[in-house]
Amino acid sequence: MIGVAYPAVRTLAAARYTLRMTAAAPYHQLVLEHSRAPRRFGALEHATHTADGANPLCGDALHVDVRVTDGRIADLRFRGEACALVRASASMLGERAIDLDAVALAQLEADFARLVAGALAQEATLGDLNAFAALAQYPSRRKCALLPFATLRAALAGHVTATTESKPPESSLQEKT
Amino acid sequence: MSFDVQQIRKDFPLLSRTVHGKPLIYFDNANTAQKPRRVIETVDDFYRRHNANVSRAVHTLGEEATSAYEAVRDKLAQFINAKSRDEVIFTSGTTQAINTVAYSYALPRLQPGDEVLVTTMEHHANIVPWQLVAARTGAKVVPAPITQSGELIVEEFIKRLTPRVKLAGVTHVSNVLGTINPVRELAKACRARGIPLLVDGSQAAPHLPIDVQALGCDFYAITGHKLFGPTGTGVLWARRELLDSMPPFFGGGEMIRTVSFDGTTFADVPHKFEAGTPNIAGFIGLGAAIDYVTELGLDRIGAAEHALRDYTNAALKSVPGLRLFGEAKDKAAVFSFLIDGIHAHDLATLLDHEGIAVRSGHHCAHPLMQFYGVPATARASLAFYNTHAEVDAFIAAIAKVRKLLA
Repeated sequence: MIGVAYPAVRTLAAARYTLRMTAAAPYHQLVLEHSRAPRRFGALEHATHTADGANPLCGDALHVDVRVTDGRIADLRFRGEACALVRASASMLGERAIDLDAVALAQLEADFARLVAGALAQEATLGDLNAFAALAQYPSRRKCALLPFATLRAALAGHVTATTESKPPESSLQEKT
Repeated sequence: MSFDVQQIRKDFPLLSRTVHGKPLIYFDNANTAQKPRRVIETVDDFYRRHNANVSRAVHTLGEEATSAYEAVRDKLAQFINAKSRDEVIFTSGTTQAINTVAYSYALPRLQPGDEVLVTTMEHHANIVPWQLVAARTGAKVVPAPITQSGELIVEEFIKRLTPRVKLAGVTHVSNVLGTINPVRELAKACRARGIPLLVDGSQAAPHLPIDVQALGCDFYAITGHKLFGPTGTGVLWARRELLDSMPPFFGGGEMIRTVSFDGTTFADVPHKFEAGTPNIAGFIGLGAAIDYVTELGLDRIGAAEHALRDYTNAALKSVPGLRLFGEAKDKAAVFSFLIDGIHAHDLATLLDHEGIAVRSGHHCAHPLMQFYGVPATARASLAFYNTHAEVDAFIAAIAKVRKLLA
């Protein structure tokens, strides 16, 4: 049984990322799944840190409640109105951020920023977040995927608000044919 | 001669490219229009064979460049039926045209308590310049309301034309809603009260015949790149007596008669408002664009666009959960919409993956978005080179996106 199950699991996992690599669709299946049913969405009681992330030009508004214990994220909840990329990124980050301290979170955000900028092929520590690699082709949408990170970082730093809209989109004249 | 859209599409090289492996469907014409080969080749030919600065060189190239450049002024004067070519000021676009009026006409005249009347559906280019001069003078910018269906409430506009109003500004065609405003009626009301009316014609010039004298307005602004010409070209038209009463906006070369450190005298209109080396190749390209649409026939373009508009409107209304913004009786083929549960940017990104270019966002019309209580919409804006088959593909792609995000 093990001999059968193991390759099957591996094939499934490989298929997930193969889809992204070949089709280069802007919305990976995992992104769609997380955006439809985002994890750790809602309100959190006894939050120690909280912040609002907003990209007003897009109309995205995200709130995060975090409970920090001994310098690590013990629990968190996102909520708000936002596009599929923001929701999926918040959902994946919400799962990934548990037990991280501010330093580890900063490293995760840096890796993710490099991934969506196309400067990092894939990073094991990013897990499902690797599904955002297609954003290398969509510079104007990177700010969406980065908003939950900026919001969580702001909450931990004691800031009230965050946005990822200040930077203009990078230019690119390559034909996407 | 019939309107053979497949033949016409061949005049636009870009329309034959693919995006993400799919044939491009370009539905972002209200943002900027694609350029016919004639425009591209005219610009290319200028740089290859005639490039020189205008109005200052006596050599052959200078004469050729000046003559080709100034011929475009005649073409544009004719295109908008200006009384004189001197009333046609070349600008970088509508934004510069409106700013010229704001700083040269409004700023010296506005007093504390004065008002500039605009409408809720204006583009930021017809709001922010007035706010900037209002902030310096103590005047304020007042909007006239619109209906939920996106039509200006004419009686409310007229009611607001009080003695405090020193200038009114209205868009001819809304870039978000497609609404065609009753400019003649508004101009008549303004004229009766001695209030000059500026019309933002950015979206109108590509779709409607423009006759500034028949419209009865005082200022009219056009941008070239939406009119199938190069970017960085535009026109401010104003009645001669208004232009003569206005000081220059920019100072520099070209706009002077004599300069000394004791004082400077300015050139006559139109050059008084055209400091510095202009976008010479761009304007010569715009001349080619005017020739192109004129030869195609504005009436035939209008008929083709009306058919596209009605077809698209009916098709969009068949999409479940689709909310259309702007259902004026008189409108251009511009469709702003949202689909239940789908963010406008998600829709635009996923349509792009199907080769379909639409705009998503606030369309430089924050007050209008606030009026409808939405942060952003998706917008499909069509031109005469679009086809019914493209509309079908667009509707099919929307269905695909709905399924994907549901």
